[in-house]
Amino acid sequence: MISKFSHECHCRIAFTLSLVLYILAPAAYAAENQSYAELVSWIKAGSPDTSSLTTGQRLTINDREQYLEGLIPISAWEYYIFNDMDMEFAERGSYPPSSDWGVRMDQDYSIDERGVLIDFTGGGFPFPDINEDDPFAGQKVIWNMLWRPGNVDYDMPMTTWLRSEGGKLDRKLEFTSVASTYARGDHCLVEGYEEVKSKRVMEFRSPRDMAGAKDMSITYVDHDRENSGWMYIPSQRKPRRTLASERTSELMGMDMIREDINGFGGKVYENKWTYLGKRDVLATINVRDNPESGGPHLWVPHKARWEVREAHAVLIEPRSETHPYSYKIVFVDVETNWTLWMFAFDRQDDQLLRMNQHYLKYSESYATEMPQQAPYVKQDFSDNIGHFVMLHLGESDINAKKPHATITHCYVRKRDFSPARAKQFYSLRNMISGRR
Amino acid sequence: MVAAKVNKCRIVRYIINLVAVNLEPKKLKRNLCLIAVFVSLFKLTHLHAIVSLGDSVELEGTLKFQNILRTPKFRDAEAIMQRNTAQLESKYYFLKDREAFGRFNSGPIEEATLTVIGRGVYDSIYDVRGSYADSFTKEDNKYGRTEASLREAFVDIVLPPFSLRLGRQQVVWGETDGFRALDVINPLDLSWHWSRESWEDIRIPLWMARGIYDIGKFKWFDESFIEAIWIPTDFRPNRISTDPRNPWAFTGNGLPETANAIYKDGELLDLDVEFRNRRPNKKWTNGQAGARFKAIWGDIDFSLNYFYGFSADTGVKVQNSLTKTSDGIHYMVKDLVNPRTHVLGLTANYSEERFTQSVLRMEATFTTGIPVKFDSEVPISVDPDQDQFDTARRTVLMLAVDRPTWIKSLNKHRTIFLSSQVFWRHYLDYSKYYRGISTVKHGMVAGEKVGGKYVSFNTDRIDRDEFVITFSASTSYGPAGLIKPTFIMALDPRSTGAYNKFAVDYFWSDNVLLRFQQSIYWRAANHDPGPWALGDIWGHTTSNSRHETDLSLILQF
Repeated sequence: MISKFSHECHCRIAFTLSLVLYILAPAAYAAENQSYAELVSWIKAGSPDTSSLTTGQRLTINDREQYLEGLIPISAWEYYIFNDMDMEFAERGSYPPSSDWGVRMDQDYSIDERGVLIDFTGGGFPFPDINEDDPFAGQKVIWNMLWRPGNVDYDMPMTTWLRSEGGKLDRKLEFTSVASTYARGDHCLVEGYEEVKSKRVMEFRSPRDMAGAKDMSITYVDHDRENSGWMYIPSQRKPRRTLASERTSELMGMDMIREDINGFGGKVYENKWTYLGKRDVLATINVRDNPESGGPHLWVPHKARWEVREAHAVLIEPRSETHPYSYKIVFVDVETNWTLWMFAFDRQDDQLLRMNQHYLKYSESYATEMPQQAPYVKQDFSDNIGHFVMLHLGESDINAKKPHATITHCYVRKRDFSPARAKQFYSLRNMISGRR
Repeated sequence: MVAAKVNKCRIVRYIINLVAVNLEPKKLKRNLCLIAVFVSLFKLTHLHAIVSLGDSVELEGTLKFQNILRTPKFRDAEAIMQRNTAQLESKYYFLKDREAFGRFNSGPIEEATLTVIGRGVYDSIYDVRGSYADSFTKEDNKYGRTEASLREAFVDIVLPPFSLRLGRQQVVWGETDGFRALDVINPLDLSWHWSRESWEDIRIPLWMARGIYDIGKFKWFDESFIEAIWIPTDFRPNRISTDPRNPWAFTGNGLPETANAIYKDGELLDLDVEFRNRRPNKKWTNGQAGARFKAIWGDIDFSLNYFYGFSADTGVKVQNSLTKTSDGIHYMVKDLVNPRTHVLGLTANYSEERFTQSVLRMEATFTTGIPVKFDSEVPISVDPDQDQFDTARRTVLMLAVDRPTWIKSLNKHRTIFLSSQVFWRHYLDYSKYYRGISTVKHGMVAGEKVGGKYVSFNTDRIDRDEFVITFSASTSYGPAGLIKPTFIMALDPRSTGAYNKFAVDYFWSDNVLLRFQQSIYWRAANHDPGPWALGDIWGHTTSNSRHETDLSLILQF
């Protein structure tokens, strides 16, 4: 009897220990794979051979060692590689800009000793060719990203889901961003506003406590000049000036900071830059539709179309000792100059703190496959065809330390403002009243 | 220690009693229904904000259940408010892209919308608390218990570069928070919870026209526009309750009673006061209007403002010629007046990104026609009319700083938004006989209190220069920022009176918000009520202490 009890007891202890180890194992595994050093090693390891992959092939957990670990940045394995994962593989597509991109540029620009672009006014990529040996290669990749076509000039309703572990939905936000490029190379959208790079108005629709809140921001051609911003809050019935230079606080409960928008939304001169070379990565570069969310926490795209893309890997080191990041690495698509992945590491321990991954769609693909409409407004997406730009269909932003994620779907319609309409729409006058 | 324990027991006992009252068989059925409604509200997780009806109509709104427990000096507790508010807001897009009602070309008018906001209120405390219900008679018309109002109804018309808003609306000018200098276009309803609510909910909307002409960039200015408002006939004063039966009545700096006696020649007489409404009536000649020019100069966002209106603060003119004493009763006639005012203002803000990383705000106003009380013993040379009333000119200067600040020990994910303001109010026409807040005391005869007799005194001399300093801090906690604490403090450095509020909003879901607020009124020294209705006036004695605990459940869609 005693012996049987003892045996049962030992079994239970063993079972419990196994369970504990099983539960702890992924965490330990994740911690192992989420350091800054491991991502750098992963980049240096080089790209795997993907010549045997064919369009339409499904990539699942069974392809982990052969393809996935070599094509998904190691810091993201914990979220992007999961048991019932289903990636549709597509051969690398070509997504050229329109034929007039780069034609109407003002060529009289330069890069200064801080790596800051001077006197550039848009209309094309400032540095179409990136030389790996160029000491400013990292900054130049980012300048191309910041001045890429399709970045703005849209009506963009969005839905954002804030999710905890296990997919628990904490909050759902609905808002619309409208933005226009002012600096267009040899001309400005609105004459007399040549110092403006772009203007944006964003308005919240849901939940009710945020409905009607809107902000307007002005970005300037001069990178040294901070953005100007105002926020209209319905409960105050007046606009409030906002501070642009604080870029490291999380926004509206979301898992991103202003400096992480599109991979890098800060000031070039506040960082040290290193070009790490090119690396193939899997990317949702031309998705069919806004992807459904999957994974154990519903944080990442599932059943989406992925391509292997050649990306510039750029290391960014904030100079400020108080900055939350020690390092940030962005993967920027070589052809389109859109950010595909971003990883930021905690200054405390060089472990992953935040990451984002973007879902994009080429405007010309709208001719054959229309993505879904926003749940609260219908738009004519056929307007997108003919622009020859990438459109932002959303992103996953993950805070690895909380842990928590923000998943956003964007429903973009390209929009060209007339100068007169832009002047009226993007004005402080529009910020003194709102939907109430 | 023992006292604190006793007080806690009293508060707990009070809450138990309140629950017991609501569990009476008569009320149980109704309360179970309410509980069922609450439970189903909590089940809601992500109901759409803004419900669309077709392509043109949108609806949104809130249901708010607000419970306020007054805890005088934390020695006792009494429920003073169970305000249940339903607000429904709708927007009708009847003209889009130069097409009205989907059929007619509207020419130069690009867009037009109709917005209607309605509010219904039922304060159930008057039914829950017998003492409240009994203190009001039918003639009182259930004052404060219910409200059904069209809050706002306006049409927006966009006719670039001109835009127009016509109808009942709120217009807010200026840079200040919580205290008014230039934000004087709409009066405030201070009758049910003073100024402790969101001002959006207590501003009294007015019928007016508001037009904006966008100029844009010219000369040294950017983002410039001119705004004009015209309020043809709709004047309303700030609404204040002086009925001591109402929980937020303004009864001065003393007993929460209305004066009903007066000393005349050393004798205590009954007092009968007739108040005559001499406020501006609805005539075209009583119109109000204003204009402002707003622009950015360099990086400074500024505005120049002018408003020609009436003072929303009501003044009282004593009609001496109609004052008489007869049969031991002293009769007085007082006229309620709202003088004409001119308000000139300058506002500016500047985002200082390099050294302080903060937004600096400034507001300066010059106002005429401020109604002021004179001391009853004022010399005839100072008050030739002997009506104990004057109008003064006053300036206000407000300087403020806003700064999102990292305090990692308190919040490692998000900055804490710190904001501080300093107000300096200065009387240009100053008299040492100007008086502020009156005090109600017991009537006394031969050193003995006379039951039921209350006398009003006013020894509160207004200072030529008045100051108030505010500070607030807010942030959010939790993975999705669903817990939002706020701390507010307002301090009058001269009277040392202060007000503190600590509030926490917790978003149970996108549709259900739970709110806890604790308000505390205190002073550091003396019993000077000060001019700002802070500290001592609502914290001097236990009977006038208005410490409050506010628990609210808000359903939003």
